[in-house]
Amino acid sequence: MRTKTAILIAALGALHLALLCAGFIAPYDPVAQNREVPYAPPTRLHLHDASGWHLRPFVFRWTLADDGYLEDKSHSFPVHLWTTGSSYKFLGLFETTRHLFSVDSPATVALFGTDGFGRDEFSRVLYGGQISVAAGIAATLIALLAGALFGVIAGYYGNWTDQSLMAGTELFLSLPWLYFLLGVRAFLPLHVSPVRTFFLLTCVIGLIGWARPARLVRGIVLSSRTRNYVLAARSFGASDLHVIREHILPEVLGVLMTQATVLVPRYIAAEVTLSFFGLGVNEPVASWGNMLSTLQQYSVLVSYAWLLAPAGALVITSVIYALLADVVQSRLEFQQPGN
Amino acid sequence: MRYLGRTLLRAILLLAGVSILCFLFTEMAPGKFFDELRLNPQVSPETIANLRSRYGLDQPLAVRYGRWVRSAAHADFGYSLAYNAPVAPLLWGRARNTLLLTTTAMLLTWLISLPLGVWLAARRGRMLDQAFSIASSFLVSIPEVVIAVALLAIVVRWRLLPLSAGPLNTEGVSPWTHVQDLATRMVLPVTILVFVESAIIVRHVRASVLEVLETPFVQAARSFGIGQARVLFRHVLPAAASPAISLFGFSLAGLVSGSLLTEVVCGWPGLGPLILEATLSRDFYLVIGGIMLSALFMVGGNLIADVMLLAADPRIRTGALDAH
Amino acid sequence: MKVITRLTLLVCLLAGVCLAVGPAPEKPNPGEELFRAAQVSGHYGGQLTIGGRAEPKTFNPVIATDAVSREMIGRLMADLIEINRASQQTEPALAKSWKTSADGRVFTLQLRKGIRFSDGHRFDADDVLFSFAVYMDENVDSPQRDLLIIDGKPLAVTKIDQYTVRFTLPRPYAAAERLFDGLAMLPRHLLEKPYREGKFIQSWSLNTSANEVAGLGPFRLKQYVPGERVVLERNPYYWKVDSHNDRLPYLDELTFLFVGTEDAQVMRFEAGATNMISRLSSENYNLLNRERNRTGAQLSDLGPSLEYNFVVFNQNDLSSKKLDAIVRKQKWFRDLKFRQAVSAAIERDAIVRLVYGTRGTALWGNVGPGNKLWVNSAIAHPQASTATARELLRSAGFSWNPSGQLFDSSGARVEFSIITSSSNTQRMKMATLLQDDLSHLGMQVHVVPLEFRALVDRVFQSFDYDAAIMGLGGGDADPNPEMNVWTTQGTSHLWHLNETQPETAWEGEIDRLMQQQMVTIDYNKRKQLYDRVQHLISENLPFIFLATPNVLAAADSRVGNFHPAILDPYTLWNVDELYIRTPTESAGVR
Repeated sequence: MRTKTAILIAALGALHLALLCAGFIAPYDPVAQNREVPYAPPTRLHLHDASGWHLRPFVFRWTLADDGYLEDKSHSFPVHLWTTGSSYKFLGLFETTRHLFSVDSPATVALFGTDGFGRDEFSRVLYGGQISVAAGIAATLIALLAGALFGVIAGYYGNWTDQSLMAGTELFLSLPWLYFLLGVRAFLPLHVSPVRTFFLLTCVIGLIGWARPARLVRGIVLSSRTRNYVLAARSFGASDLHVIREHILPEVLGVLMTQATVLVPRYIAAEVTLSFFGLGVNEPVASWGNMLSTLQQYSVLVSYAWLLAPAGALVITSVIYALLADVVQSRLEFQQPGN
Repeated sequence: MRYLGRTLLRAILLLAGVSILCFLFTEMAPGKFFDELRLNPQVSPETIANLRSRYGLDQPLAVRYGRWVRSAAHADFGYSLAYNAPVAPLLWGRARNTLLLTTTAMLLTWLISLPLGVWLAARRGRMLDQAFSIASSFLVSIPEVVIAVALLAIVVRWRLLPLSAGPLNTEGVSPWTHVQDLATRMVLPVTILVFVESAIIVRHVRASVLEVLETPFVQAARSFGIGQARVLFRHVLPAAASPAISLFGFSLAGLVSGSLLTEVVCGWPGLGPLILEATLSRDFYLVIGGIMLSALFMVGGNLIADVMLLAADPRIRTGALDAH
Repeated sequence: MKVITRLTLLVCLLAGVCLAVGPAPEKPNPGEELFRAAQVSGHYGGQLTIGGRAEPKTFNPVIATDAVSREMIGRLMADLIEINRASQQTEPALAKSWKTSADGRVFTLQLRKGIRFSDGHRFDADDVLFSFAVYMDENVDSPQRDLLIIDGKPLAVTKIDQYTVRFTLPRPYAAAERLFDGLAMLPRHLLEKPYREGKFIQSWSLNTSANEVAGLGPFRLKQYVPGERVVLERNPYYWKVDSHNDRLPYLDELTFLFVGTEDAQVMRFEAGATNMISRLSSENYNLLNRERNRTGAQLSDLGPSLEYNFVVFNQNDLSSKKLDAIVRKQKWFRDLKFRQAVSAAIERDAIVRLVYGTRGTALWGNVGPGNKLWVNSAIAHPQASTATARELLRSAGFSWNPSGQLFDSSGARVEFSIITSSSNTQRMKMATLLQDDLSHLGMQVHVVPLEFRALVDRVFQSFDYDAAIMGLGGGDADPNPEMNVWTTQGTSHLWHLNETQPETAWEGEIDRLMQQQMVTIDYNKRKQLYDRVQHLISENLPFIFLATPNVLAAADSRVGNFHPAILDPYTLWNVDELYIRTPTESAGVR
């Protein structure tokens, strides 16, 4: 258990560190178009050529032939470390031009291939992750906090409070959110900066998403407040707040954690639907959501498999979070009252 | 009984509230039904204005709402601008097709998820559990529409299923061929729905079962020598039931609305394609009709879930809920 | 003996059942004046399935507004004069011949004698009069009504005798006979009663039974399965015969399957569930092309279409609205040099390569090379040049700061947004390319995708936008349908809607030229006038034209006489000539 937890935490840490240092690790600016190499497959790293094995990997340039890309073997371009390239703000603090690795132009090192505009997928996945993961986590927090709040109140106080709050959730879940979103879009100024879009996204998703967790929480609270230790605590004169905090909330945590592992990736992917209505992160800024929306097209899915990179990144992130949540949950269980 | 009465009242109020809010929301959204004609340079604005006033689209909101309520009383539920026909008959036929799909998917999902969730909880930490965790993360992260397109692409490329099949409603075809036909067409959409739903349900079931597994009464039952399976299914499951019941309520609630994208991608003639197109073209009486239908199912589903919650945990029913 | 007879009967019955998929065509009788398609041959039998994006909403040709309904209804109905999609010229249809008066105002049409509707009822001039009365009825509000109103006055229709009808236009109208294409002739015997009762709009809705719908098209309605498919069967009385005097159509049945998005259509085509696809994106075309050797599919790249995609800057009069931010930017939008600079900075060949996968053509005017009859080849096609663009901006008073950002003469940063439809992937891509191109000029451009109807609302109604990428055109090759786009008072005069008087000399000149070409009958004179219009448009850039896609269509190996065209309905226009090849025939074709 210990080693597994340690591995998971290390993996999570590495993931987030990679995303934070996107500017350094990514060889290219995510919006830089390279119109000579659209939809290019991932650059192949070679270690061996006619003159034997090399320690430093090298790449060839992609050239477009009739039925696809071919490597131009006439000239090899070694991969350099600690290079200078396009400028960016490291951690948003200071400008620098240092990158982890790159190759000299005109060759490109696109580890995950390029998209339809020749932009490097690897760089876009890293930068995109910053926005998407942050938005997903923030939206989930909002939804779960609001959901837990209303769920606990509804479940604990019962009767009319319960009925009206649950009616509220049903109202929320039934409404045509599409029209509401379109209306919101119409009221907003035409251009909303990517940062503001990000905030808008999270608020919208979080606000709409509180209903389901609320219902789940309420169900649990309804049964747990009748437990003996709760009745006992109340008969001793404990205040509602105390009872809720000490006895009800721990029961609810399990459900919340499971919901979290489901909601975070869901909300990240929900951006796909939102961008259809102009509420996603706009071009040319990269986010996993808007990169995933190109995968809705059959021809892209079938012909350019490397564009599945953001889906892969999303899956890996969500797996790590899910496994970690499981570990945390088992830790919490050992501390449950009545165990 | 009083509880039921209260819930019924709440349901009616809710439906009324939903309908009013729907009207408000559709009013907020930019664009109206006949806007598409504006892109056709050969149609004059006068024709468009006449069309709008003929269908009462230029009336104030309150008037339109009143008309709709009256139409609902006649069981018409409004008039579809695109189909030039009352909304209700359009919805019933398609709703039947959707329900066929979703009830099958729901049955399969729960038949698979409950035992699977319990079983995985019992084998926590082992290979299968980890594998499932990865698989379910996969299914949860990838948007449903991408999963649907991907599965459809696999079916097409590897010719797993015949995509061309007879129509859903035919007279003159033997019942057995009809059922076979139907089954073949349902395999893909049902698979997609089951995959997507069960990933979440299994996780929740597993998590709540795990919580209960560590409690004293289960340890006690085990120490008494009661077999693993019996412990799991007769003692643990009822105690862990609460989130599962709520989820079951969600499944019921989503019977008409949950399969929209899958139906569109797989070409299943249910409510999905109808409502999606109506939404995009602003055929709003049809949209509102669809929303009322799914609101109805939502209320029904939650009601059943509440009843089940009461049944599962008798303590909720009794006066333990007094002081407030 | 008895057993053998019984068996033979059974076999014949079964064979009969299998063969009787569609009604057999009636033998042509001498009393009918039929249209002979001299180049066409094929053989009977078979079923064609084509996928559609959505289901049709009605069977009524007069009130149908959406494209899907119109495509299906077009197979059930016929018009007096039709435009042959391959030659783009008019040809006789239900009218076997017509005479035009010297002033071009009066058309006298001779109808074919002896032809019948799909239910066997005879067709004559009374049906024509009834149809036009319905189209022009103000209470029906047909979208096609406006076509028949010229200068505010309706067309006059008179019956000369049982098979002759005279149309009188209020004034001469160039290519007036093209108006008749798309005006389906209605069966008076079925629709007059509901019309007189005021129930016409509700007639022929989707739940109408098949025997109440009749038309003069190659097919008639057989079955509608809600949400799923419409099945049409051969019209046994159809008025066209092939080169062997066999009555068309060859196909027994035509099925429209509602499969949703283009991707779903392509997948079904690959799976063999459908036989034809009408318009493909270049990615899907290339996908199918790669497998062509294995599948034997027939793929057609017909060259540039008649549509044009463009950027339009908001030059509307915003004085009555509270859109000050946009008003400030209109200073730039109204400056011709600004628009010329934008046009010079756009890499159109990148658009053709990256958006259309090389299956497209760059445009500098509203008429592209696909419209062979009307294109003005003398228009300049300057290549992209950032240097030229910068020079233009400099001469217009713009300047750059040390980081390369563009500022106007009053010191304001040049920044604006381009809206486009989020559901149109091609235009979204064009917007992204444009954003990058214009960033080289120091302009900061934001791409704002909007849901389609929200976009239409902003461009036509609220005028709350800076610039938009849209597409128009594609209806017909003739210049007349474009009147509403280029004339000052036209309803699609997007850059300055609600303009009452032309504000610039060139707009005034375009008004005069378009009005003139509308009443000029001689093609060469019209061409000269329209050439000048195209020249003015490409010089003054009310729209900055980008590119047009090629028309791409596909059919599987079994479809014979597959001759798609660049005009709508691209593959179904000659559906009466399509036939299903036998396996040996299609093997031979591969």
